[in-house]
Parts: sequence; C-alpha cells; structure tokens
Amino acid sequence: MSETEKKLREEAKALLEQGRVDYIVGYEPGSLKFTTTPLITKDKDDVDRLVISPFMTNNLSVFLTELEGKVGIVARGCDSRSIVSLIQDKQLTRDNVFIIGVPCAGVIDMGKIERLTGKDRDEIDNIAWEGDKAVATIGGNKKEFAAKEVIMDDCLGCDTPIPQEYDILLEAAGPLACDKELSRRRIKELEEMPPEKRWEFWKNEFGRCIRCYACRQVCPACFCKRCFVEETEPPWLSPLPRWQDNLIFQMTRIIHVAGRCTDCGACELACPVRIPLRSLSKKMEEIVEELFHYKAGADKAAPPLMASYEAEEAEDFIR
Amino acid sequence: MSQKKEWEPKLLGFLCRWCSYAGADLAGTSRKKYPANIRIIKIPCSGRIDPLLIIRALRLGYDGVLVSGCHPGDCHYQTGNYRARRRMAITKKFLEYLGVAPERIQASWVSAAEGGKFAEVVTEVTKDLKKAGPNRLFEDEQDGTKAAK
Amino acid sequence: MKKVAKKEIYKILSQWRKDFTVFAPSREGGVAGMAVWDGKDTGFLDWYRNTVVPPKNSFLLNMEKLFDFHKENDGYKLAVPAPEKPRLIFGIRPCDAKAMAMIDMVFKDTYEDSYYLSKRRNTLLVGLGCTNPYDSCFCTSLGFDGPTDSADVDLMLIDSGEDFLIEEVTDRGKELMAKTKGTAEATQNDENKAKKAKEAAVQKVTRKIDIKEIKEKFPASFENEALWESLAAKCVSCGICTFLCPTCYCFDINDEASRGNGARYRNWDSCSFPLYTKMPMENPREEKWRRVRQKVHHKYTFYPKLFDIIACTGCGRCIRLCPVNWDITQTLTKASAKATGTEK
Repeated sequence: MSETEKKLREEAKALLEQGRVDYIVGYEPGSLKFTTTPLITKDKDDVDRLVISPFMTNNLSVFLTELEGKVGIVARGCDSRSIVSLIQDKQLTRDNVFIIGVPCAGVIDMGKIERLTGKDRDEIDNIAWEGDKAVATIGGNKKEFAAKEVIMDDCLGCDTPIPQEYDILLEAAGPLACDKELSRRRIKELEEMPPEKRWEFWKNEFGRCIRCYACRQVCPACFCKRCFVEETEPPWLSPLPRWQDNLIFQMTRIIHVAGRCTDCGACELACPVRIPLRSLSKKMEEIVEELFHYKAGADKAAPPLMASYEAEEAEDFIR
Repeated sequence: MSQKKEWEPKLLGFLCRWCSYAGADLAGTSRKKYPANIRIIKIPCSGRIDPLLIIRALRLGYDGVLVSGCHPGDCHYQTGNYRARRRMAITKKFLEYLGVAPERIQASWVSAAEGGKFAEVVTEVTKDLKKAGPNRLFEDEQDGTKAAK
Repeated sequence: MKKVAKKEIYKILSQWRKDFTVFAPSREGGVAGMAVWDGKDTGFLDWYRNTVVPPKNSFLLNMEKLFDFHKENDGYKLAVPAPEKPRLIFGIRPCDAKAMAMIDMVFKDTYEDSYYLSKRRNTLLVGLGCTNPYDSCFCTSLGFDGPTDSADVDLMLIDSGEDFLIEEVTDRGKELMAKTKGTAEATQNDENKAKKAKEAAVQKVTRKIDIKEIKEKFPASFENEALWESLAAKCVSCGICTFLCPTCYCFDINDEASRGNGARYRNWDSCSFPLYTKMPMENPREEKWRRVRQKVHHKYTFYPKLFDIIACTGCGRCIRLCPVNWDITQTLTKASAKATGTEK
C-alpha cells in the first residue's frame, strides 16, 4: 500500500469518526482482476478497503445526486470537474461535498492491454506500474509497455491532472503520459472521412446498441429525473433498438450534456457492446471549447454553458 | 395523365411567434413570392428550440430545418434567442461532425418588419436543400423505414 | 459416439447450412455475438469463449414485430410475420442452453406464447462444451454439470484436443447426425480424452458460491432493509445485468402507428429501470435498493419457492459486464451471512 493510500484511509476514517461527513465514496478493489468498484459507506471500518488504483474506471460523482447528507468523495482531476459542474447546475452545494483530492497516473485501458497482449483480462496474471512503464505478467513472462500505449485515450489528453477544487489534496501527481494528438486519434479519423462515410460508421456502430442506458446511468451529467426517452407524449423516439432510434438517443444525449460533459469516458467504458462513445462526447467538448471558450467544471462560480450567453457570439451561420 | 414531378425538398420552419412568424405574415400580405417548400410551425420563442425537435424532423424525413427568431436584443422574452443561438450552434456543428449535410440545419433572425428578408431566406434555404438532395439519413430498406413523404 | 476433427467442422456446418440458417459465434467491433454464419469462417474456434448478448436474443428478441395492422372498414386487419426457415445455433454454451429451458417455463405456463415457442421448435441447438471459462463464471455451483452439461441441447460437442466428440442428446439431434457426413467413430481413447477435458473445465471454474447455505439463509434477507440499502448503493440502475442475463425474460410491448396503420412490437424491459414499476398512483420500487433486492430474490428465492429451480445458470455476464462491478455472488454470500438481522 502506498503512502498516499494510507493517508487516504486515515483521512476518510477521521471524516466519518468526527461526523464531518455522512458518507465516504471512493474505490475499493473489484471482484475481478484489474477492476475497482465504488465503495459507498457510512461505516468507518469499511474505509480500510479504499484504494488508489490504475483501474479506477467509474466517475464517482454520479452518486452525489442521489446520496442524502454530506459526502466525502475521492476525486481525481477529472472527477473534481464533474463535481464542480454539478455545483454549477445547482444539483449540489459546495458545503455538502468534502473533496479528497487524489493523484492519478492515468487509467490503464484494459481494451488496449487485451489488444497488445492478445489475451483476455482474466488470462493475465498481473499488471502494475513499474516506474513509468506498465508491466503485464502472463504465464510467468513479463511484457513491458510504455505508459502512452496503455493509458486510456482521455487520460492521454488530460488537462486537469491535479484537482482544481478540493478540501484536502493528498498528493499532486498526474498521468504518466500525455499526448493530445493520440487522445483524439479516432475523432481525427472520423473528421477525415467524407460525411456519408461518417454517417455509415455511426449507423453501423449503433446497430449493436441494445438500449441498456448504461451510458446515461453512469454519466454524472445525466441527472434528469425523467429523461426525454421516457416521454411518451409525444414519443420523441422509439424504445425499440433500431439503429435510427439508438443513434437519435445518443446524439440527443450528447447535445443535452454539452458544457457539462468532462470527457471522463465512463460512458464508453460502461457500454457492453463497445460503441466508441467518446468519439462523440469528446468532440462535443471540443465544439464547446471552440465556439464558446468554455470548459466544463472549470469554475464553480460560472453559470452553466447553456444557461448563459454573450452579447455577440457564434453568429456566422445565422442568416 | 399526370406528369412526373421533380423532387421538391420539404423544409420545416420553426418561427418565433413575435418576430419571425409576423415577418412571414408580412411577406404574405406584401405579396412577396417565396417557395412553397416550407411548412411552418409557430413556437412562442426561438428559445423553445430543443435539439430534439431538429433531430426528430430529420428522422421524420424533412430535408431541412429552419429556425427563425428575433434579432439579438429584441427577443420578446429578453434572452430566448440567445439561448437558441448557443443551442443551434452546437447542434449544427455536432450533426455536421456526424455526417449530416450542413445545409439541412439553418437559422435566421427575421423581425416582424422583415417580410422581404423572410422571403429571401426561404428562397435561399430551398436552393441549398435542392443542392443537398433528398434526406435519406434514416432510411433503411431492411425494416422498410422510408422517409415520410 | 461420433467425432469430427476440429479442422473439418467447416464441412459439417456447410452441410447443415443447406437445410438450416446456421448461427455461429462472430465478432463485430470486438464484441462476441451470434450471427448468421458466412459459410466460410471457422476461426471463431480460436477465440470464442462466450457471447456478450446471450442466445435468448434469438428467441425472445430485443426487437420483435408481433404483427402489422391496417385500418380496414370498421376494424383492423392484422398480418403476422411469416414463419422462418429452420435455424441451427452452433456453439451455445451449457449455461445459456439451460437458461433457455428455464425461460420455456414462462412462455408456456398458462398461455402459450406462439412467437417464442415456434422459434424454439424451429431451432436446433448445437452446444459447445467450455474449455476456457471466464473468471466470472460460476455454473458449477448451481447444481448442474457445469461447463459441459448437455441437458438442454440437441447435440453437445466436447473438445477432446484435436476433435469434437458429438453427444447426441435428443431425437432431433440423432436425426441430424444420421444424415451428416464426415464424422468418424470415437475411440475409447477419444472418450477418455473428452472425460479429462470435461474435468479440466470444471476445475477451471474458480468462482464458487455455497448454494446450500444460500438456499437456506438467503430468503430471509428480504426483510433486512438496511442490508439491501448498502448492497444496492453502487448500482446505477442500467439494464445491463438484466438484458444480458440469459434467464431474464421481462419485455415491453410498443405500438408504432400512423393514421391507423402500423405494427406492434415486443422489446426487452428491465426491473432495474427506475420506471419499471411506475403506475399512475405510485411506484412501489421507486428506491433503488428495492429494485436490486427484488432482482436477486426473484432468482434465488421466489423461483426456487415457486418452481423449485434457481433462475440463474452462473454464466457470469452480469459480473463481467456490470459497469460498476456489482457482483451477485458477493451479494448472495454477504446477504446470506447477514440475513437475519437488521444491521447491514
């Protein structure tokens, strides 16, 4: 256990013992290899299971809109922006969250590991950081990978390595590799395709969608009590998983979270049929940055993007 | 014997009730000619626009959507058109990224006094749509989904 | 018993393809599923473990047209979809086949669902015994033969190294093999190898639950509300576990119509969804913990009580694919230990 993990457990325990928070939300080891799972507890003994791991694949701030009381939450840079975004949207008050800032070396993308090693997750013995290299042990043999090869695409483009909003910062350290070009590689591929081919690509991907709504449920920005898909009068889209309705669902969802999505990647990681949702959410983040110079969750005093305006902006397409 | 008609684009117009709809009305009373391709829906304010309305229109088979409202600063509800502007901007750019022809999503500021402008806008947009061609985005022979005509 | 060399499986599938639409494992976008066999590729034997979407999707479809309707005079004319060519699913795993047998019970209880049952009657299941179970599989704990159980398929193929041994389970399976060329007789040596392979597969299933303990103690955990509040805390109420569960069968019906003409469809629904039990006056399972509690008890308490079977076959998809790694085996064990009590 690292020093920082030890500090995390101590801090979390103190917060609960002193009654400064009602819940602690963090990560504990998952029941499968190379996974973590959210730990949501009121019990100070449970916090001994808290970890800081290369496999933190959830955005924990999604639980903040359903827990009642004050919550002490483990937050990396990206998570802190989601929390701020929720404060901007008035779904949380700053006083009701105690943000425990933690370091993150970058989340290891098991999909990339599987492609690079040719093995499924459960066929690998161990994966760990050794310095700035990821070492995978398979059947006793070690394989080394540069951080750039195995970190998730969104971590490669991380622009908030240190949480900007926190109550306590346990350690200031960010991803082991940074490559903005690489982080938007798939978006670039799509941008370089002619429009018809792009549409065909998405038509094909959304043919697999089963409308499980995992993407929506894990997204902290999707906190509507009644989502547009549940409206039956009028029925905006069909609940049937046709590619057309699947695509409309996702298109609309991404537009609805514009300015609040922080490209945490939870949606893409949640999708059981591996639709490349980040190629949509990150593009929207870029559009918002380009048009309005706005970054989700950067400033808790700023009004939400879609609830504000400048006197003159974005006029060029209007006749 | 009926003649085979050339394809005409179907344009759906969302006009704000205070400015653009009145402007369209003025175009009519001033006898300004403009193409009959547009079908108009009156909305209280351009701020009523939700990207869903635009996407639904494309899903139903409309070849293009025009959203028209008051000029910035003149909105009857003060800020509705500013909100519409942001929404339209991101919706248009995002749908273009997905592969939707940019001509299909259009916006304009037309005041109640601008009958002439309204007629011009519809004429230009219709021309653009004729170039863009029929909207076959959501068609699929497999389940027999045809564009609504 | 007959056998076929793995290298020659292509010849068998090609013969079957003449009379059946053959479904075989395939990968799309990196996701394993069952798709219509293209007539050429048997490379799936190298990578196939199990699919993401279970074979229930071939019988209880996520989108199934029930009938078209047209307004005519004073009433409606209905048109039911035409029957399909007979189908053969190649490579179904024992857990999934067993699950189909469980779902059968639901669709022929007091009302026979002709859509589901005609598909079942129309489809031959060729099972493929597992050699490489996932770390999320726990079939061996659930009272059947685990990764090579042949109870609910027509034919079961057991991997014996270079060959597949072919167990003929049902009359339909026997009939099919009688007209299938290109097989050989398995030797005693082959059968020994197959037996060893079966045992090895059982050993590879490392995830286990104490089913006796669970059967005895788990039902009482229903009343421990605090326990379920804490067990359910990290669930996000998506539909992954229920949609991808081979024994889950809830569905919704939707009409799509315009000016009196349209069609009625069936699609999957999930008791995990917040609005699943919403009614005009109330929603009895508004709180997430009630939904999570119901889901697990349905499988491990209500079904055993009513039908004497556990509505779970240990395929592990819910564990493998849950976005928050919520684990039913951990929940069962924890809830059984703390069943009678009020602390969580």
